[in-house]
Amino acid sequence: MKNSIKSTLVLICVCAFITAALAVTNSITAPIIAKNEEAAANDALLQVLPDGKNFEKLDITTYSLPATVTEAYKAESGGYVLKLETSGYAAGLVIMCGVDAEGKVAGTVILSSGETPSIGGVAADTLAGALVGKDAAGIDGVDTISGATKTTGAYRAAVKDALNAAIILGGGDVDIRTEEEILNDNLSASLPAADGKFTKLFITEVITGIDAIYKADNGKGAVCVVGEQFIALDENYNVITEVDAELASTVKEQAEKALTSTAEDIDLGKYTGLPSALLSAKLTASGNYVLEMRASGYGINGNHYIASGEYIKIRVSMTADGKIIDCLTISQAESKGYGDACADEKFYGQFDGKTQENYGTIDAINGATLTTNGYKTAILRAFESVIILKGGAE
Amino acid sequence: MKNDNLSVFTKGIIKENPVFVLVLGTCPTIATTTNLIGAFGMGISALLVLLCSNILISLLRKIIPDNVRIPCYIVIIAGFVTIVQMIVHAYFPELYEMLGVYLALITVNCIILGRAEMFASKNSVGKSALDGLGMGLGFTLALCAMAFIREVFGAASFAGVPIAFLENYKIEFLVKAPGGMLVYGLLIALVCVITHGKAPRKKQFSCEGCPSAEHCHSGICANTENKKEDK
Repeated sequence: MKNSIKSTLVLICVCAFITAALAVTNSITAPIIAKNEEAAANDALLQVLPDGKNFEKLDITTYSLPATVTEAYKAESGGYVLKLETSGYAAGLVIMCGVDAEGKVAGTVILSSGETPSIGGVAADTLAGALVGKDAAGIDGVDTISGATKTTGAYRAAVKDALNAAIILGGGDVDIRTEEEILNDNLSASLPAADGKFTKLFITEVITGIDAIYKADNGKGAVCVVGEQFIALDENYNVITEVDAELASTVKEQAEKALTSTAEDIDLGKYTGLPSALLSAKLTASGNYVLEMRASGYGINGNHYIASGEYIKIRVSMTADGKIIDCLTISQAESKGYGDACADEKFYGQFDGKTQENYGTIDAINGATLTTNGYKTAILRAFESVIILKGGAE
Repeated sequence: MKNDNLSVFTKGIIKENPVFVLVLGTCPTIATTTNLIGAFGMGISALLVLLCSNILISLLRKIIPDNVRIPCYIVIIAGFVTIVQMIVHAYFPELYEMLGVYLALITVNCIILGRAEMFASKNSVGKSALDGLGMGLGFTLALCAMAFIREVFGAASFAGVPIAFLENYKIEFLVKAPGGMLVYGLLIALVCVITHGKAPRKKQFSCEGCPSAEHCHSGICANTENKKEDK
């Protein structure tokens, strides 16, 4: 008993002594370690803003900065260093960007990227050099690195965000809205009754003079885009935006046609020889066809270990004589950053107005040959389907 | 007596070199000898821990009861390792980055616990300090020798400075772990030749220091003539 008490006491004493020694050492070294780490962190900041001093980390939640900005530092000299993380097609590019007191790029460095080292990686180094000293306008003048269009685009956009963020942090005002936000703001401004919620109308009638129609989700009318103009209509298709009478009557007439279009299902079982890519078909009262197609893109034809195994679903409207009115990608599960661009209006919008003769002239998706080819094949099947459907039931 | 002390100090360098003869601390030996600076830093860190722990354990050898001696040694050694780690982190941040986790792993380096058990717990403070210094120096020299060979011939540089004329003749295999093992083996052989095979064999020094010696009454441990070496 006496022995075990002694053992315990000795062990406690040894522990206490060592703990005390550790505490003393820590009290001496901890401030030095903290200082070293701060210096190391500052080194990274100095790399992109060489004449910066005494960096102070800013709380970015108190400013409305572009979404790519994840950290912001202010230098005593008036410049800023911003840490940016890109999203979207070239997601995962982490960049430090220094902005000097005049609002020009002082330096950039990539902290991490998922780029191909031999192409995108090299491009990043070249770009970093080319961007130094540029302002927002100068950035667009920087040449795209061949073979690395996406990296260049993402890099440029991120650096632009950095410049904008620096202006905002400096108390200035700058438009940081995305294209989508700008469109929605314009729509809302012309039709406040819609409460800011719009859906783009899939057009099934041949209309002229209107580029796009956005329906209010709450049914309180629609907005037609004509060139740069946004023209609002109420529930009864009366133009409520002030425009000249001629334009107003055209818009009313065309928009009403598109908005009131009705269609009936076609029973596909009554036809023979329809392609398997055709999922369903409708015939509008005016005699146009609305087809839903499935396309075999990378998801079906790609490497079966990594491909999704899913079709791309496409909706396409067409006149009886085979001219595409509107085209839309409904769903897709193509590779992120490559084939998923088929869901972008920039891609499927190209098919509008095309016929079987010239639909092949559309621009392919960069780096997604299988997706593009599968999509085009589905469109060709749509043309073929319309010919069969037009021929009538058996 | 003076001679005796000298031999306590010198035996760690060649005759009982912890790395090449006692074959202790193999893990840090392979891991930290890819470059000379890292090896030297590791050796000196281990030397400091060894010296301090040997002194403290020797001081406390009459106080620490036998049944809690291992926990006490571990606490002491881990404490000194952490102190060394803090100091290296504060004053030599580059070395700290280089050694990484191996610095903390000095705690479980067999050399240190081995010397605590084998020597410091049975000898005077002075002798224990000399033993710690000698063994630490032996460890440092062994690491440096290995790192020299691996860095110069494997990476064509000396303490981080590139050697131009070897640039095209790098044996990169040496920098990898298997290459480290090969160099290790060759150096053990070399030390064996230098000492003409007179270095103590494992059975001559190990039983007394073996932490499980008292529970082990079979084999060579039962043979009392093997238990005398360090007394």
